[in-house]
Amino acid sequence: MLDWIQSLGHGALSRLATFGRAGQLLVQSLVARPAPLVMFPLLVKQLYFVGVLSLVIIVVSGAFIGMVLGLQGYTILVDYGSEQAVGQMVALSLVRELAPVVTALLFAGRAGSALTAEIGLMKATEQLAGLEMIGVDPLRRVIAPRFWAGFISMPILTVIFSVVGVWGGAIVAVDWLGIYDGSFWANMQQSVDFSEDVLNGVIKSIVFGAVVTWIAVFEGYDCVPTSEGISQATTRTVVFSSLAVLGLDFILTALMFGEL
Amino acid sequence: MDPLSDIIIDIRGLTFRRGSRTIFDDISLRVPRGKVTAIMGPSGTGKTTLLKLIGGQLKPDGGQILLEGDNIPTLGRGDLFLVRERMGMLFQSGALFTDMSVFENVAFPIRVHTDLAEEMIRDIVLMKLQAVGLRGAAKLMPSELSGGMARRVALARAIALDPDIVMYDEPFTGQDPIAMGVLVNLIRRLNQALGHTSIIVSHDIKETLGIADYVYVVADGKVIAEGSPEQLASVDSEQVRQFMQGLPDGPVPFHYPAPDLMQELLQETP
Repeated sequence: MLDWIQSLGHGALSRLATFGRAGQLLVQSLVARPAPLVMFPLLVKQLYFVGVLSLVIIVVSGAFIGMVLGLQGYTILVDYGSEQAVGQMVALSLVRELAPVVTALLFAGRAGSALTAEIGLMKATEQLAGLEMIGVDPLRRVIAPRFWAGFISMPILTVIFSVVGVWGGAIVAVDWLGIYDGSFWANMQQSVDFSEDVLNGVIKSIVFGAVVTWIAVFEGYDCVPTSEGISQATTRTVVFSSLAVLGLDFILTALMFGEL
Repeated sequence: MDPLSDIIIDIRGLTFRRGSRTIFDDISLRVPRGKVTAIMGPSGTGKTTLLKLIGGQLKPDGGQILLEGDNIPTLGRGDLFLVRERMGMLFQSGALFTDMSVFENVAFPIRVHTDLAEEMIRDIVLMKLQAVGLRGAAKLMPSELSGGMARRVALARAIALDPDIVMYDEPFTGQDPIAMGVLVNLIRRLNQALGHTSIIVSHDIKETLGIADYVYVVADGKVIAEGSPEQLASVDSEQVRQFMQGLPDGPVPFHYPAPDLMQELLQETP
């Protein structure tokens, strides 16, 4: 029994220490941004790796999810004779929920895991220690540009996801199932409010971007520098980011739409 | 002249623990300026840890590491990075930045710490690469280099800013005889030509003793012997003799502690 309590306490303390280290890393990499001239090319490079290279998966998933929404929405709404509202349904579910959440989940799987593995491998091959010994802070040089790249990319990717999704929904509902395109777009335009829906979705994606990238860079920076350690850290990035995104989504939705 | 008359790094009463294990127990060493100092000892005695302590990458549990009067463990983050500009370190793995070419790797510290014009940087980098015999490899990526070449590029990068101190972490490990000979020569020649202080951590006895001016032998968290290579050859300690002559058994036992072999063989498997 005593052993059990002891191990519980030990586990809680080490978890707390991990949170402390993660907080420290976040603050230091935000404070210790490199000078703009140095930062800019590093940031552009990371924006390419983290953002641009995620475009394919985001666009393809967005199109399919929009198409599925159009199809499902039609089959349900047609029973009530209100299939004209498919546009409204597709747009609202994408902009409010699916675009921020699915983009964040895909981003964690594609870019988050890559960030963790890259930073972990840099640690294992002593590149981070090498930077320190050259007199360059790895938090400035390696962590900060990657963190900002994730933070900036996520909202943009989310908006692209929404746009492509709506387009996918329109293809199915209007071009394939033959809903009158005037009512499809007019219903959508009437029901989607910019600050209530679009802006809230973007705010969600900003929060998810910060959290997912934070988890990814921290797991890489804090990993045990062995092949096993890096693989575990990469797995943790995907699992923790996904759980964090889903949990935070509920909290944010409750705050934004729940009238709490 | 006594090699210890002009000291650049003075380590006093250093204690360092990892968990419950004591790596260094109140050890003191002094590194003479402009000389090649070797720190030797069996694997797992914390030789690399010592370099990390000098570089301020680890904090000791006690004692002082004085670099010309500055106590490294008490320096703040900013001061520490300033002190590190005076140090070059050759990592065991080379630690080259894999996303940069050989040229960019060597140019990196110069770009970060100086405002030199691009032509000047190019000249310095080519000179450093020429010194390690790899000017022709300037355009290659680290993945295209052999282990020995990678270490020489890392050496060129370590001396790019003409540091006062160059630390070598196991520079000879895993090298073929030619690469090993090249590195031994380079370390000695660069030390003479550039006048910096070299600290070599190694367990390659022959190569290291061939170029060292002063040697410390570390084992079990203590300095068990020190002196010039000639002085060490005549030390009358079984532990030092076992290490220097590479004897398989002695105070450092060949067998990891285990119960009696016969008993274990006769034991039934659970």
